[in-house]
Amino acid sequence: MNSLDITRGTVPGRLEDLSLELPQGKLVGLVGPNGSGKSTLLQLSAGILPPSGAVAWGGRALADIPALERGRCASWVPQDAQFEFGFTVWSVVAQGRYAHGDDGKGVEAALGLLDLEPLAARPVNQLSGGERARVLLARALVTEAPLQLWDEPLAALDPRHALETLRLARAVSRRGTTVLFSLHDLRAAHELDLVVVLHNHRLRAFGTPDEVLTPGLYLEVFGVRAVPAPGLSLELP
Amino acid sequence: MNPRVRISKFALPGLLTALFLLALLALGYGDMHLSPARVWAGLRHEDPVAATVIWQIRLPRILVAMLVGAGLSASGLVMQAFFRNSLASPGLLGVSSGGAVGAVGAIALGWASTSLWALPAAAIVGALLATGAVLLLARQGASGERLLLAGVALNALLAAATSYLLSEFTGPYEKNTQILFWLLGGLEDRTWEHVMIALPIVAAAALLWPLGRPMDLLSLGAKEAQSLGVDVRGLRRRLLLLSTVLTALATAVAGSVGFVGLVVPQVLRLMVGPEHRRLVPLSLLGGAAFVLACDVAGRAAGGLRLGVVTSLIGAPFFLWMLRKLP
Repeated sequence: MNSLDITRGTVPGRLEDLSLELPQGKLVGLVGPNGSGKSTLLQLSAGILPPSGAVAWGGRALADIPALERGRCASWVPQDAQFEFGFTVWSVVAQGRYAHGDDGKGVEAALGLLDLEPLAARPVNQLSGGERARVLLARALVTEAPLQLWDEPLAALDPRHALETLRLARAVSRRGTTVLFSLHDLRAAHELDLVVVLHNHRLRAFGTPDEVLTPGLYLEVFGVRAVPAPGLSLELP
Repeated sequence: MNPRVRISKFALPGLLTALFLLALLALGYGDMHLSPARVWAGLRHEDPVAATVIWQIRLPRILVAMLVGAGLSASGLVMQAFFRNSLASPGLLGVSSGGAVGAVGAIALGWASTSLWALPAAAIVGALLATGAVLLLARQGASGERLLLAGVALNALLAAATSYLLSEFTGPYEKNTQILFWLLGGLEDRTWEHVMIALPIVAAAALLWPLGRPMDLLSLGAKEAQSLGVDVRGLRRRLLLLSTVLTALATAVAGSVGFVGLVVPQVLRLMVGPEHRRLVPLSLLGGAAFVLACDVAGRAAGGLRLGVVTSLIGAPFFLWMLRKLP
């Protein structure tokens, strides 16, 4: 059973005729130049943009899944969110349990996983960009949705939190959750199970990093040359 | 303990007590001063003079004041969550003006005298049209500036429409006084008829009550709310309809009363936090108490109209909020 099936998904001017099947329990990177349609693909997958074409989660057509149940099936994390109102970090993360009847389950654990315990009582409209990004990830995790769609979750994070988030995504996918997330760090993309490459609003390639991320593709899609070089590499202690 | 939590525990009983005391004061205070004992006797028809003053004059006015306050305040709260903007309110966005144009039009064209419900119906239509215009001009989730500028444009347009109606249909003196009443906003000479017109505010408030939790999610982002399981389209439609009807009914019985929907929810949010399950009931009660207090204050100041009093308090408050914007 696939976790996500998109058939001929099109969003005029932003994404053209894209079909994609993501197997369950994989950690999938979404790469492509700026404006290639990564955010659009994630929103299409999340059912936020009305698709022309078909989207299915776990084999069920999106159109057949009622709004509340969708909140338990898939979770989308925006690239950045501006919060107008001063909800506490705790209460924003607890919103992830809305579709579960607001039972508050797993909120403390998610706060712990994303290093947010010291901020739990802080109003979200006073946080830094990286802190906000971690709040959004924690809220997505408490939904326990088997399909996680994250829009550049690492972009605002410091090196340690970025590595921890990657490790967290890996751990979540090992438990059967499919994680599809966009990123610009192509070296990190090499460590993932699968990679989706978008170019000019179209699917350019999909497969394992070794198959897909070739020097030819780097040059064609990103306009950069891949040069193997010894250098600094960061890891968690 | 978190001070917000401490305040919010006392907010509901505190507001209820304040509302009760204000009502008692409003019943007793006036050209003819009534002691609490006489108020009580009047309410039970044991004192014929007090009974007439209370049942014919003061009680309907008080009830209209409370309904208007509750309606405008809740309407503002809903708009703030809807547009994700704490400056959104019926007055600034032009929804009140839309309702007033509808009401003025109904009076000018003579519909208002044909049926009790013609005027509120016209106010609702006017307010709905204004809401639609705001949506078109600002789009959802628009930036604060864009939304407020759309409101400025709409308010100017509706003021022109009102002026046109006034100049084109200058009728008998009585009609003009009536029209002037809507433009200034006030609670003079309110009767049980007006209480009846405003009574659906209670029903709208009841429908709003269970929407507090999804409003929390919506107020932090429509797409995010949808991803978390909120039926955003349905919720938005209901919220917009409820907030428009609340404003329109309030405007139909009291004219344009500004700033209630801006000040009350904002003060409550500062006191008890942004959770709408708490803010919905509190802003209904808080709005009722605020407008009642403004009306009593206006009467004590020698007959200042309600719209004038709320603006005297609201305009400086609005400027203070603007200063806090980034």
